[in-house]
Amino acid sequence: MHRIVLTALIAAVGFSAAHAQTSARDLEVLGRALGFLEGVSGSERLVAIVYDPAAASEAEALTAALSGGMSAGRITMNGRLVPLGDTAGLAGAHAALLVGGASADSGFAQAASSQGVMTVSTDLGCVQAGRCVMGVQSAPAVRILVNRAAAGSASVSFSTAFAMMVEEI
Amino acid sequence: MKRILLCSAATVMATSAAAFGQAVDYTVMAEMFGEPVTTGATGAPQRASDVPATMIIITQEDISRAPEYDIPGILRHYSGMDVARFSFGQAEVGIRSAGTPYTPRLLVLVNGREVYLDSYGYTAWSTLPVTLEEIQQIEVVKGPQSALYGFNAVAGVINIITRNPALGDYANVTAEVGTNGYQQYRLSAGGALNDRVALRFSYGRTDAHEFDAMLDATDGVRYQAESDGFERESFALGGSVRFTDKVNFTWEVTRSEAELLELVSIYLPASTGYELTSYQAELGADTQWGYFTLGGYRNESDIGYSFGDLTGDLTSLRLQNLFRVGTNNTVRLAVEYREATTASFPDPTAGDLTSQTLAFSGMWNHKFSNALDLTLAVRYDMVDWSRAGTPNPFLYPWTQADYDVSFEEPSYNAALVWRPDFGGAMRFSAARGVQAPTMFDIGFLLPTAGLSLAGNPNTRPAIVDSLEVAYDRTFANAVEFRTAIFWQNTRDVKTSFGLAPEIFPPAAPQPAFLFGNRGDSALWGIENSLAGTHGDHWRWSLSHTFKQVDDDLTAFPVTTFANFEAVTPEHVVNAQLGYEHGRWSADAFLNYTSSTVMPFQPVFGAYRSRDIDATAALSARVGYTLTDNVAIAISAQNVNFGDGELTTPVFETEARYFATLRASF
Repeated sequence: MHRIVLTALIAAVGFSAAHAQTSARDLEVLGRALGFLEGVSGSERLVAIVYDPAAASEAEALTAALSGGMSAGRITMNGRLVPLGDTAGLAGAHAALLVGGASADSGFAQAASSQGVMTVSTDLGCVQAGRCVMGVQSAPAVRILVNRAAAGSASVSFSTAFAMMVEEI
Repeated sequence: MKRILLCSAATVMATSAAAFGQAVDYTVMAEMFGEPVTTGATGAPQRASDVPATMIIITQEDISRAPEYDIPGILRHYSGMDVARFSFGQAEVGIRSAGTPYTPRLLVLVNGREVYLDSYGYTAWSTLPVTLEEIQQIEVVKGPQSALYGFNAVAGVINIITRNPALGDYANVTAEVGTNGYQQYRLSAGGALNDRVALRFSYGRTDAHEFDAMLDATDGVRYQAESDGFERESFALGGSVRFTDKVNFTWEVTRSEAELLELVSIYLPASTGYELTSYQAELGADTQWGYFTLGGYRNESDIGYSFGDLTGDLTSLRLQNLFRVGTNNTVRLAVEYREATTASFPDPTAGDLTSQTLAFSGMWNHKFSNALDLTLAVRYDMVDWSRAGTPNPFLYPWTQADYDVSFEEPSYNAALVWRPDFGGAMRFSAARGVQAPTMFDIGFLLPTAGLSLAGNPNTRPAIVDSLEVAYDRTFANAVEFRTAIFWQNTRDVKTSFGLAPEIFPPAAPQPAFLFGNRGDSALWGIENSLAGTHGDHWRWSLSHTFKQVDDDLTAFPVTTFANFEAVTPEHVVNAQLGYEHGRWSADAFLNYTSSTVMPFQPVFGAYRSRDIDATAALSARVGYTLTDNVAIAISAQNVNFGDGELTTPVFETEARYFATLRASF
């Protein structure tokens, strides 16, 4: 039931921006990937949805989809809406999902990194540029891309099995 | 600052295929990637679409929908599998090769522990201490895999992985009752006691009447008259202890017993009782130098064959490390020591026979790009045999010194995986597999009136060379197409004796039948499969495997009962149609096997040949979920076989029907 609501919510937004859009399946993949973060105990994961004004509706839809907790594998993912530039909004977050133009903002990515928050985007270019630790793409086939340098800067590490199954650069 | 695994230059580690298997969260990984994951092909965790070998991954859902009572029954529905059921409890599994009695070409693992019987190299499937519900997945790796797994992995590897109790609580109680006295009860449960300790256990019991023996199979009829019942019982207790986030300890103790009628390697009916015990432990540590695993297991077997009792044990220790160099290289290094001892058998007077093996192995996977990667694996085995006593010089042709045998053999696997722009994945692979002589091959000793039956310490390892080109593709409509063309050549095929002695006085104190090498056997074939779904409710699959064998062996049946040309079906076709809607599920299966000719011995020393006509077996299962926790099912197995159909030469496979009641929590 939750999955149906989630899909409907995200589909209803009808993301039209040119950048990589975040689908319900992307969120499911991301949630499961967060389960393999090392140094994080418990089953709750808080994801900051970081957006620029142009992507506000996309971010709101994602936050709504995560409201009440989205079950993904063995963890539950909750969302928090964080406007681009509000680095204080990252406090307590395990990951920052950069949507819209946020994925191109090096300054914010650096701030997240210094707070030990893993930056994630569906824009794989963000990972290739070193701004994001992880990129997630669920179609046509699942791709998970990890930037080792960015992960190191953010003091982020993953379980061995997970690290061996994703693409690293 | 905490240690940063991903930033280290060479620090991503894993253990062996089997060892790492318990460290992988298969369920979540599969959900995340949208496809099964495995450690079976290289020892490193991989997505099914990335593996450098042709594999089948059978999930728990697949198992639960099959109208089968054992694992070989499940395996028979998949492409490239040759499953021959010689009796109710004896099914022999070949991968791209015939399933012959006591087939010694397959490596079968349960959670990384070898469960084939080291003394001969065959797998007595009825003795596996596993219940169907506790299986996470069954991985079948086709073709020689000696460089990754060691001896016996020449036809392929079957790795059975049970659920990890640390990753979720579970409990299953299953009762099955059917025709011909069939009853099976299975109990399995597992879960975490706290953040660090998890436990699991399982128990299974099966009873059934044996299939009817053909009247001209004298010993089969005799053994059936003495004991018509098949019985098996198994128990497993295991668990894990997580000392820290980086150090994990797993352990398992199992016990299984089985009484069944079967055909031994020379196609002679026999009644056999198995009592097997195992102990396994493994410590895994994720360090800055890599993820190390130190593991070991001990298998103890006490087998009552019709021709004598066998007592043996196998101890295996291994240290392994799998790590990543940079972002594109995965390396696995391992060292393994094995020691197997068998009491003098069946003649108890000639002293224990021992083999010691030291093996070094390595695997390197290099990713040139997302479209191209290469996997190379090598292994070097050094084996020493010895005998603690002297065979009776008035009965046997060998002295104690003859058993001081040593050999060293390399093996390799190489595979190039290319993902072309037009879609799918193409694999080019080559391998050299090693099938080492076993205790039977080397040290079997049995006196009869004026004759002796003996192993042969001069038996050399059989070498299997293999080439394969394969292509897998999933189309936009989710239809999955898989094709492979393969070639294998086995040099120095080793078998037990035939109908005539091979050595005579004065070279021997009396005429002796000998085990030994019998020549070469080549095989090529092609397998094609399609699988897909239709709408939300239907799923289907269709596969065809063609094989052609060319034997160049010594005279059959005078010196050997091996005749792969005759016993290997040229065509095997499998089809499945499944439907699921609401609380209902229904699955129908077809298994077509083309004709073969199989030998058998009505009594020892007498030879008969049986034409086995082509068969098309129809099976089905209908399930209904009563509540969230309780389900029932009716299974009909080989329904068109009626009271019996010859699929092998002695026992006629019968139609069987059974009802299943399963409670899961």
